[in-house]
Amino acid sequence: MKQKPRILVIDDDVDLVAVMKGTLESKAYDVIVAYNGKEGLEKAKKEKPDLILLDIMMPVMDGFNFAEQFSKDPSLKKIPVLALTSFSDSLGQPFPFEVSEYLRKPLKPKDLIAKVEEHLKRGGS
Amino acid sequence: MDSKLPKEEKEIGYTPEETALLMRVRVFVVLRWLAIIAIIVATLVASKAFHIGFPTLPVYIICAFMALYNLFMLILTRSLKALGTGFVVPRARAYGNIHIFLDMVTLTALLHFTGGIENPFIFFFVLHIIAVGIVLPYRSVYLLATEAILMVGLLVGLEYSGIMPHVNLGAFAPPEEWKDASRIVAVLVALAALLFSSAYMTTAISGELRKRQRQIVELGEQLLEKRTRELEQISSEVAKLEEERRHFARFLGVVAHDLQSPLVATQSFISYILDGFTGGITDGQRDLLERGVRRIDGLLTLITDLLDIPRIETGQITREMREISLNEVVKRSLDGLDNVAQQKGLTLKVEMPESSPKINGASRRLQQVVTNLVSNAINYTNEGMVLVRVTDNNNDVRVEVIDSGIGILPEDLPRLFNDFFRGSNVGSKGTGLGLSISKRIVEAHGGRIWAESPDPETKKGSRFTFTLPKKLAAAHEEKRE
Repeated sequence: MKQKPRILVIDDDVDLVAVMKGTLESKAYDVIVAYNGKEGLEKAKKEKPDLILLDIMMPVMDGFNFAEQFSKDPSLKKIPVLALTSFSDSLGQPFPFEVSEYLRKPLKPKDLIAKVEEHLKRGGS
Repeated sequence: MDSKLPKEEKEIGYTPEETALLMRVRVFVVLRWLAIIAIIVATLVASKAFHIGFPTLPVYIICAFMALYNLFMLILTRSLKALGTGFVVPRARAYGNIHIFLDMVTLTALLHFTGGIENPFIFFFVLHIIAVGIVLPYRSVYLLATEAILMVGLLVGLEYSGIMPHVNLGAFAPPEEWKDASRIVAVLVALAALLFSSAYMTTAISGELRKRQRQIVELGEQLLEKRTRELEQISSEVAKLEEERRHFARFLGVVAHDLQSPLVATQSFISYILDGFTGGITDGQRDLLERGVRRIDGLLTLITDLLDIPRIETGQITREMREISLNEVVKRSLDGLDNVAQQKGLTLKVEMPESSPKINGASRRLQQVVTNLVSNAINYTNEGMVLVRVTDNNNDVRVEVIDSGIGILPEDLPRLFNDFFRGSNVGSKGTGLGLSISKRIVEAHGGRIWAESPDPETKKGSRFTFTLPKKLAAAHEEKRE
């Protein structure tokens, strides 16, 4: 592998982002963070990450909007997206957009790493 | 207004007055055809059967002339239909005026060839005034009545003075009667009185009728306006309620997110420590942190449950409903639970019909119900089995969850589905909201849920049953957003 896999974390919860960043960096991933969907979309375009972790309920642009914009961009479409949903959001309407997988918060660090590795392997082949 | 009216007139949208006028003009055409036939028959009968002497040829010529202009009238009335609303009344009245004038002239000519003053049919002019009174405004009616009496007067006068020849009806009338001035005056006065009194009566009646017609239309319009206003009010109220409902749903979403976010974050921090990312921890620390994780899990479940109740009660669930396969719902609900059962040494059996019943329902919510019932069954069963059975009946489908567990105390059965109720023979596991939420979900689908303990078949444990109707009431089929 030429360089460290790059992961974009999009979540409005600063503390949670810090934990996720720490978890992923401990496994030698290059982590970029964004605190809302709009910022996330800009960073995704600029940095071309290998995987995106996406929160659904966020201010400015929520995860659904992000996924919609994201799927319209052919240069981004191939990047795997793992959507993180809170406990009760997921019981509402069915999600309108295709993402690689929906993960339910809270997520244990070990499980997070396992999921990230699984999708990177799938996408990177 | 009248269901017997031709369709096209309704489509053009004439006022009832215009429609009535058009219909009358058509009736006049028909009446004129009948009149022609009547004149021919009367002439034949008078000349052939009664041998009354009068020249029949001019009568037939006059009939032919009448037929000709009646045909013309027929074509004109047809062309009236092509006119839009608003133009019909003046046009129809103008045609009516012309034709009635023609009628007067032909009738006078007819009278001349059939004995003038001697002919009792002289009073047929009255019929015309009545006909005219129905169609034309009252001024025209009096005008035509005057016209009629003048024309008859002129005819009789000309014949009397010898300027025009008189046709004597031979066997029918005394030969010198037509020269009897006092009789002529008497007939003319009687005719005039009849003409003007008919004019008065018909215009009065038809004027009243027209007034009524307008009143009915006005009333109809007022009623329609009132109904429209009421409808607008109702729909604006509905829209307001819908808006409030949406606000509330959004509010609940925000509440859920804001209550859970700090817990989720805290949970992550603890997991981060537990998973050793911050270095090693002692067993004592691990024990306390794990207790912390469990308590937070419980709180997250409680928040979800608490927020589920208003979400279901405000009808959000009906928006999630679509056609779903019940077998699929049950299969998905058992995901992971078979492992839990196995770990406890229980057999988890599932019986489902081969072709899955299709129902209109909220898939995730029904999964929640089945998961809740089955995990309860596993929780309160220490040995034996848990059976999930789906049956397809005529009007509804039935899901049963049967266990061989500790059962439910008889005094607890009636309160089982109450909020925050926990059985007296179980610990303080769970939020006490699971069954009450399940009941709400099933009832939102138009179904029923109940519990029996011991299970009537196996005489042990308990059985939870819920039914879902196959065809949902219209209220549940509202449009999805």
